[in-house]
Amino acid sequence: MNRNDLDLYKQFVKTIFKMRYKGSILGFFWVLLKPFFLFMILYVVFSSFSSSIADITPNQYAVYLLSGLIIYTFFNEGITWGLNSIMERSSLIVKINFKREIVVISALTMSLINLFINFFIILVVAIFLGINISLLGVGYILLVCFTMFIGMYGIAFFTSIWMVHLRDLAHISELVLQLMFYASAVFFPVAMIPEKYRFIVEYNPIALFIQSVREALIHGEIVNLKFVLLALVCSILLVFVGRRYFKKNILKIAEYF
Amino acid sequence: MENIAISVKNISKEFKIPVNGQKNTLQERFLNPFHKTEYRQFHALNNLSFDVKEGEFFSVIGPNGAGKSTLLKIVSQIYVPDEGNVEVNGKLVPFLELGVGFNPDLSAKENVYLNGTILGLTMKELDEYIDDIFDFAELREFANMSIKNFSSGMQVRLAFSIAIRVKSDILILDEVLAVGDGEFQKKCYQYFQDIRGKKTILFVSHGLDSVKKYSDRVLWLKEDKSYEIGDPIEMVEKYSKTF
Repeated sequence: MNRNDLDLYKQFVKTIFKMRYKGSILGFFWVLLKPFFLFMILYVVFSSFSSSIADITPNQYAVYLLSGLIIYTFFNEGITWGLNSIMERSSLIVKINFKREIVVISALTMSLINLFINFFIILVVAIFLGINISLLGVGYILLVCFTMFIGMYGIAFFTSIWMVHLRDLAHISELVLQLMFYASAVFFPVAMIPEKYRFIVEYNPIALFIQSVREALIHGEIVNLKFVLLALVCSILLVFVGRRYFKKNILKIAEYF
Repeated sequence: MENIAISVKNISKEFKIPVNGQKNTLQERFLNPFHKTEYRQFHALNNLSFDVKEGEFFSVIGPNGAGKSTLLKIVSQIYVPDEGNVEVNGKLVPFLELGVGFNPDLSAKENVYLNGTILGLTMKELDEYIDDIFDFAELREFANMSIKNFSSGMQVRLAFSIAIRVKSDILILDEVLAVGDGEFQKKCYQYFQDIRGKKTILFVSHGLDSVKKYSDRVLWLKEDKSYEIGDPIEMVEKYSKTF
């Protein structure tokens, strides 16, 4: 990456970020305000369910709920924005040649920024609710998020290209992501699912990531370490393969918009 | 011997245009599973070769559909030729449109940074040039205004001021002069006058007067995909006789 590529990347991220809050009176305050109030709403609505989980206090349930939600949101945004990245920049791509990969990475960076903002708020909420945050736990959460980011980067190399050829992917991905949401036990504890269907959650990588983050945040425990490390290795491989696919197929993309 | 800046060798480009529009959705494919999409072959370019020397002002003329834009996009590495290859010696910056990437909701200053980096400048260089850019565009007092409130002339002036800051050896210009008022066009011509001989220019235009005035050589692309290269006055006259 040369100097200009890095500057271009910064400009793209800045532009996406600015565009989200352009014209609103509170502007950048929404970055913090919106997730905070969303969390409050969810907490009020769902705190009544907490009694159904035996070994968890209401305060822990709040953090349980919110952490699941931010990890799923991270996944949802990363996949969706990665998918749309090339398509959205089509007007630029047909006019000038620059490193197309920057478009993909800047879209994914936006989901990472959102994750960090949400995570910051959740930490504040957790400390306020009297939950002991362990440094090891936070470190493990960062590893999990990094793994997811790399994985989604690898996926985006394929989906951003496919999207140009098959526009239905926008709708298909929305449905698949909705399915993943319910299969990831975000709002309800895994124990509530009947035994014979539990494998859906147990073999669902997103559910496993969410579970790892929850345990690390609430109890400071490291679970699913083997899975996370395996996922990291697979993700790195996916990036290598995806990048080759992307480089080969991006050359002709301008003809298909 | 003079150095070659752009070397185009035997390039051909063909587009497959679906007769009934592009089938980009599953519905269209499912509804007609046995019905193969009908394509019309469209030869945009056929076995075209030419060299542009360093410092030369090389113009391309021809009717609509002769392949002028396709040629510029291939040289700018936006399209890949089906056959043949293009060699470019030096830093090439295409201006197929002024102000690529301009975002109407961002301020003029933000757009300078965005458009500037897209054109290959670094932030550091832009920090250095920003005052000059606004002075040249005569838009200093509007630097913090959203460019959606700019007139189209103001936008073009801003875009042009950024464009001339870009460090390049080879410029690709596509109908850039078609926009802007008389005053602005004068500025453009002045700029052309200044860079003639210093930079290599590949220019596409329907403005035959400017082609005659500035070009060293002219490539005339014809509708039947044959072509001629020669002296500007001769080429323009021959081309003019076809309509």
